[in-house]
This record gives sequence, C-alpha cells and structure tokens, in this order.
Amino acid sequence: MPLEEHREQVPVLKFPRQTIVSLLVFAVVWEILSHLSPYLGIPPFAIPSLLRIAKSMTTITPIDVAVTLARVIAALIASFAFGLALAMVMYNSRMLDEYLHPMIRILMAVPVVSWILFAVLWFPGVEFRIGFVLVVVCGPVFLVDTLDAMRNVPRDLRQMMRSFRPTTWQFFIKLMLPAIVPTIFTSWKVNISLAIRVVTIAELVGAVTGIGHQLSVAQELFSVSDVFAWTVVLVALLFLLEAGVARVEHRLLRWRA
Amino acid sequence: MTMQSPPPPTPPHKGEGRSTPLPIEVRGLRKVFRQATSGQAVVAIDRLDLVIQPKEVIAIVGQTGCGKSTFFDLMIGLEEPTEGAILIGGKSPSGDFDAFRGKIATVFQQDRLLPWRSALDNAKLPLELTGVPEAEQRERALTWLNKLGLAKFTNAYPHELSGGMRQRVAIARAFAVEPEILLADEAFGHLDEVTAAELRETFLKLARESGATAILITHQLEEAIAVGDRIAVFGQSAKLLADIHVARWAEGDYGTLREAIQQTLQNQKPDPRLHD
Repeated sequence: MPLEEHREQVPVLKFPRQTIVSLLVFAVVWEILSHLSPYLGIPPFAIPSLLRIAKSMTTITPIDVAVTLARVIAALIASFAFGLALAMVMYNSRMLDEYLHPMIRILMAVPVVSWILFAVLWFPGVEFRIGFVLVVVCGPVFLVDTLDAMRNVPRDLRQMMRSFRPTTWQFFIKLMLPAIVPTIFTSWKVNISLAIRVVTIAELVGAVTGIGHQLSVAQELFSVSDVFAWTVVLVALLFLLEAGVARVEHRLLRWRA
Repeated sequence: MTMQSPPPPTPPHKGEGRSTPLPIEVRGLRKVFRQATSGQAVVAIDRLDLVIQPKEVIAIVGQTGCGKSTFFDLMIGLEEPTEGAILIGGKSPSGDFDAFRGKIATVFQQDRLLPWRSALDNAKLPLELTGVPEAEQRERALTWLNKLGLAKFTNAYPHELSGGMRQRVAIARAFAVEPEILLADEAFGHLDEVTAAELRETFLKLARESGATAILITHQLEEAIAVGDRIAVFGQSAKLLADIHVARWAEGDYGTLREAIQQTLQNQKPDPRLHD
C-alpha cells in the first residue's frame, strides 16, 4: 500500500450531469412561464424573462458583495472563537456548564428577527448591530457543537492521554482539539448557511450597504429580476464558501480512511 | 481527579540514563465503587498487599472481573484508592500524579493510537508531553519504531496499518519515553496467537533491555507463564491467591504449573502444588 502523500485535485465546484439537467429544466420552465404570464393573469414584472435577469446580473455591484462577504467571514471567525473558548471552559467546569447551559438554550431559541430588532434598538452603529446579530446567532451553534464533540471524544483516547500525564493545555491541544476537527468543519458548513441568511435579513432592515440592502432596494422598485439576480449571487456565495471549507477540510482530514 | 498545570519537568539529557529504579509497594489496597443507579457498593479490590521489586517482570493473572483492570487504573493513577495505598518510590501515582510524568508508560489492550497522527507522531506523543527537544523526540521515536520493525511505516496513519502493527506503534510509544514502569493491560489479547506470541517476545526482550519494571495484566495462563519472573494470581476482588516465582519451576513442569494456577482460580484458593 503506497504511503506517500496523495495529492488529489479537489474541484472547487462540482456540477454533475444531474445538476445541470435539473437547472436547465428549471430555466426552460421559468422562461415558458415568463412568456405565458400575461395569459395567466400574472403581472409581467413577477416572472421576468431570463434575458431580463441576465441584464440585472450585469448591474451587480461588487462592493456590496464584498461588504456582505466580509461581514459574514468576520462574524463567523468571531463566533467560532467565542464558541470554542466557552466550550473549553464549560468542558472543564461542571458548575459553569450547569449554569450556562440553560442560558445558551434560551439564546438559541430567540428568533433571528427578535435579535435584529434588539440590535436596532440597542446599538447605534450599523456594523456593530450586524456583527452582534451574527455572533449571537452563530456563536451558540459553534459552542454546542464543539462541546458535544469534546464530550464524545472516546474515553479510551482520553484515558490513554491522561496516563501520560499531560498538562491541561496539552490535553486540549494534543487530543481534544484535533479530535473535534471533523465536527468543527461540519459546524462551519452549517453556520455558513445560517450566517448568509442572517446577514441578508440584518442588512435588509438596518444597513445601507451589502446584498441585503440591495434586495431591499429591488423590492421597493418591484424589480423581481434584481431580486433574482442578487439571490443568485447569495446562493453562489454560499456554495463558494462551503467549497472553500470543504477544500480545507479535505486537506486537514486526509488522515481519515 | 483534577489535572494540575505545572510546567513539565526538565527532561533528562541524552545519555544521562534512567534514575534509580522505583520499588512498588501495595499496602492494604481497597477500592470500592458505588453504582450510579442503585448506590450499591461494589468492592473491586479488597485489601491487596503486594511488593514489586525494581526491574522485575511480573504477570498478574485472574479471571474476568476479578479487579485486574481496576488495579491497572490505580497503578497508573487514574483512580484513587478507597483505602490503603500504592506507593512507587514512596509516592502515590494518583496523589503525586504529575511527579510520574515520563516515569510510567502504558500499553492498553487496544492500541489507542491517535488516528490523525502518523506512526512516528504517535510514538513521539509522550516525549512531547515531557518537554524533550524536537530533534531528540524524532530520534528516540524512530529508534523504537525501528526496533519494532516499523522503519518503513513511520509516515503511515493508523488506518493504513494492521492490528499487529498498530500495537507495535503503541509499544514504541510506551518505550520511547524510557519509563521506570511499564504497564500492559491485556496488550496482546486481541491479536491472533502467532502475532501475539511474536509481539509478546519482542515486548519482553525490550523491557528487560530497558531495565524498566514491567507489569503485564492478562487472563491467559500461557501468557502469564511466558512472561517470566513472577506471576501474581488474583482471585475475586483482587485477592492475592498465589505469588509464584517462575524460576523455581523447571520448563518441563510448566504444564503442572498451568494446571495448578487453573485450579487456584477455579477454587479461589491456592493449589497445594504452588506452595514452596
């Protein structure tokens, strides 16, 4: 069995035949509906033609895409750091775990819209509001996933590690953190999807930049084609971020069978 | 048991050699567990007394559930005695937990290798914990992997190795830290007989060469007799039924020895043939 490192080329995006066929069928049905809409009593602006949508795609402003992307990435990093740090503390302290666990559950039960309204009412700065909402929504998800993963590290490995008498820091760095890396990647993929949706709503309500704000403008102008175009951008952004995480995951988890 | 966080002790310089071997004294050892659901007390070890001399290779044999693994956990220091004490060089492995860093090494029944580390990195693990310089970590780990026939597999991940090879890595990991005391809990039990015999012979040879005190826990009589030096026969609740010095038995009488130990375990009292 070859033991040298395998260097597989991981494609950034995969488009299997079935995906392309599904998308084509959807595009054809959409175009037919667009042409038939006057006869179906549907307003023309409600189902714009693919050509109209393509024209809207050319008006996408890169700066808004960059702003939304930056907000998402910054908030995810902050949420992950917060979630991981608190998970380590709660893993090490049963008392803290028992006191904090109910609060974490309550935080996770509060709807995103409520957090956005709280943020608008509490904080004057737009960026802080958006960051606050993202961290308070995504942070607990990282925390719960990480803490669960730590608790599920096999007892055999923990016992083996303890038999060699590591310090607390060594125990976390050399056993717990590497052991929970697969869960961390799964949590990142979930949170990317969550963060994209949360940032869109947060920008819709209280921002003057970003994709969410542009969706709000499109809605006010009754421009379904613009809404469609920005939605395509959001979906593409999500897929790209997930592909990026998958690439890193593939590299770091090459030890898996 | 809480883990302390003092800085690791300064590792011995290369070539400095091991410090004075540590005698092991078990005095009136008692371990009682309370069942979480019923609160009922379970006496796992009931007043065990045993002395193990430095550099001795001793096998502890007994039936399943007699307290061998509990004794193993107490020896490592992962459990604290309910009564009595285990003293290694006058110190308790549980009470003076960090004092034994780099001095006690274990081989478990399953290899318990970290799946994200290569064979070399797994063998280096205890050396990283004791603050050995990086270059020396690599050198020592490679040396032990070579001794165990794994020179060509140092970069392999555990899932790329057979069961026997993974256990060899686990043994290399234990030896690499050059411990005073080696503990093996059914280390060869899950392997096929041929692989187990080969690995056991290698383990014992290396243990004797290293000068460590080796304690092997097993439920297999053949394995206990093959170990050499001494056999401690545990009855229920780790009662010491017999303490046998194997050298006093001629190799041709091993069949009788096996039968005598078997009878001892079945009757839960020493077989007359084991009396000196």
